[in-house]
Amino acid sequence: QHYPPLRALQASAALRRASDEHKKEPLTSSSQQHFDSPPAGHQPEQKPQGPRPSYTGQGGQESEDYESEEQLQHRILTAALEFVPEHGWTAEAIAEGAKTLGLSVAAAGMFHSDGSELILHFVSECNSRLSELLEKEQKLVQLGEAEKKPIDEFLRDAVEARLRMLIPYIEKWPQALSVLLLPRNIPSSLNLLTSMIDDIWHYAGDQSTDFNWYTRRAVLTGIYNTTELVMMQDSSPGFEDTWRFLENRVADAMTMSNTASQVQSTGEAVVQGLMGAAVTVSN
Amino acid sequence: PGAGASLRLCSTRVAQEGLNKPVIDRIIRVDHAGEYGANRIYAGQMAVLGRSSVGPIIQQMWNQEKDHLKKFNELMVAYRVRPTVLLPFWNVAGFVLGAGSALLGRKGAMACTVAVEESISEHYNNQIRTLIEEDPEKYKELLQVIKQFRDEEQEHHDIGLEHDAEATPAYSVLKTAIQLGCRAAIFLSERI
Repeated sequence: QHYPPLRALQASAALRRASDEHKKEPLTSSSQQHFDSPPAGHQPEQKPQGPRPSYTGQGGQESEDYESEEQLQHRILTAALEFVPEHGWTAEAIAEGAKTLGLSVAAAGMFHSDGSELILHFVSECNSRLSELLEKEQKLVQLGEAEKKPIDEFLRDAVEARLRMLIPYIEKWPQALSVLLLPRNIPSSLNLLTSMIDDIWHYAGDQSTDFNWYTRRAVLTGIYNTTELVMMQDSSPGFEDTWRFLENRVADAMTMSNTASQVQSTGEAVVQGLMGAAVTVSN
Repeated sequence: PGAGASLRLCSTRVAQEGLNKPVIDRIIRVDHAGEYGANRIYAGQMAVLGRSSVGPIIQQMWNQEKDHLKKFNELMVAYRVRPTVLLPFWNVAGFVLGAGSALLGRKGAMACTVAVEESISEHYNNQIRTLIEEDPEKYKELLQVIKQFRDEEQEHHDIGLEHDAEATPAYSVLKTAIQLGCRAAIFLSERI
């Protein structure tokens, strides 16, 4: 999933030029202008329309290493993740990340100061990794090289795998959670959450086409969210308390669904019994 | 059905790249809801008129609707489409409509069938047009399915007419009301 760039394209173009000091290209007055006016406030989105403007002295190098603004932002955010444990989900982390790519620290200006895009990017990346993991597992099962897991074990392993991706950032994750709950971010974060849960159920082999579709996803979302919160508070070695909590919740869910189907079949049997009694009495 | 009933070894899937996901989503969701509703309508009609002379005919039409629902269940899983939240509501509403129209007599049940099948045929035609406008080659399989179902629904419509649907008292009022309900159901199921 891509998150639309919030600032003008010129900013990123100028940043790249500004940091290309080793190329020793003379900065023309026009590019100097762009660099001196950092984007302030909310600028309207501008996408490149056809060929990018070529500045004197830059030659034809642009076409070879041209990348879209989205790709650039993606790279910066990925690089920034390394600095999150130290700086948190902040503009500092993004600035450090930009530095490692050889870009100016002003690159952080492309993003919101609360780190929203960084966090959403991280969540999106984790979800993609989870999908790849589950896809690989499924291939192994299809090839007969692995046993198909029972449903509770599958769900447990999938949620655990996804939550383990938080471990390097666990100190700063509560901050991230609160940012994800900002009204501005709720549509995106909810979207990411629901598609992740849907993915897990899809690979678990869910084929429901009735209201069960919703029940299952709601239950798994509850399990995931509560386990995530437990993990924030967990100080046990290797987060064993969290995994035990997860196991219990998944077991509860299985029990609930078994009980529900038992209740349903008991109910049906009772109704049939009553109908039979009514027929007998009427005869 | 218990939790285990709808879990299989590996989910059959359709490659999702290049598809207009939002359009396909809506189409399959609303068609699934429609066939589900139609099933319940016939179930309601059978509950009242099952032992009458039109019983066998309604049963036959119901069986075809069951096949349609089965097909859409498969398509729903293959395209990873979410079912409409309103399914429990259509469950009850469909049954009530079927039983209610059947309580008006055989002609009433047939009138209901004519109204519903006419709505559904028109709806399927709209979808066929949408898919053809998008890309007839890419959606060939789906188009085939919808065309076949549209033809079968048209058959049901004609059977209804053959069995004196139009002789029902207040036929046009009944028909209009039912078709209005169908249109609302279609609108909601596409979105929710």
